[in-house]
Amino acid sequence: MRLRNVENGHTWQKKLKLWFIQFVSRRKNPDVLRLVFYRPELFGQAFSQGLQALLRGPSEWSVAERELFASFVSRQNQCDF
Amino acid sequence: MPDRYSTLRQSLIDGVLTTPGDTTPDLRRRVEARAAQHAGIERQESTEVPVELAGYLDKTALHAYKVMDEDIQALKDKGYSEDAILELTLSVALGSGMSRLERGLAALKGATS
Repeated sequence: MRLRNVENGHTWQKKLKLWFIQFVSRRKNPDVLRLVFYRPELFGQAFSQGLQALLRGPSEWSVAERELFASFVSRQNQCDF
Repeated sequence: MPDRYSTLRQSLIDGVLTTPGDTTPDLRRRVEARAAQHAGIERQESTEVPVELAGYLDKTALHAYKVMDEDIQALKDKGYSEDAILELTLSVALGSGMSRLERGLAALKGATS
């Protein structure tokens, strides 16, 4: 993460949440999670709500199909997410 | 074009472009419009940005995978805070993403009309 603020400039509540996620998953938190949790009013809050609705909300596509669409597009964009 | 995700889309747009920060909403709107223009969508807003930002913004819009640490440091050396860089980068991403959505929905509308 090139921006130190996004790497570790979170509120203590968000730092605690990030630590817990990393502890439970036993993996380093992905950068996108740090981004979502940093200044959530700027991006993360609306993004998370939209993502939840798109990938998990009512749809004619299954959850797995939607995850596949997202993965395919990410691959085309040379993005890990 | 209203659809069941319109409210969610608008919340994201409002968040990225208008949340108080180290850059003005006006600059972020122009950055978003510039990124959308690169993707073939014209906005009503001006796409003019400070000359020292243009290179980074265009690279991020067109070839984000080519952005290097040196690009970020160059902006910091010119006085841009990390929060300003974040806000501008998100504005580019918003413009690029929304323009793709608009083109996709337009294609869908054309195919079904």
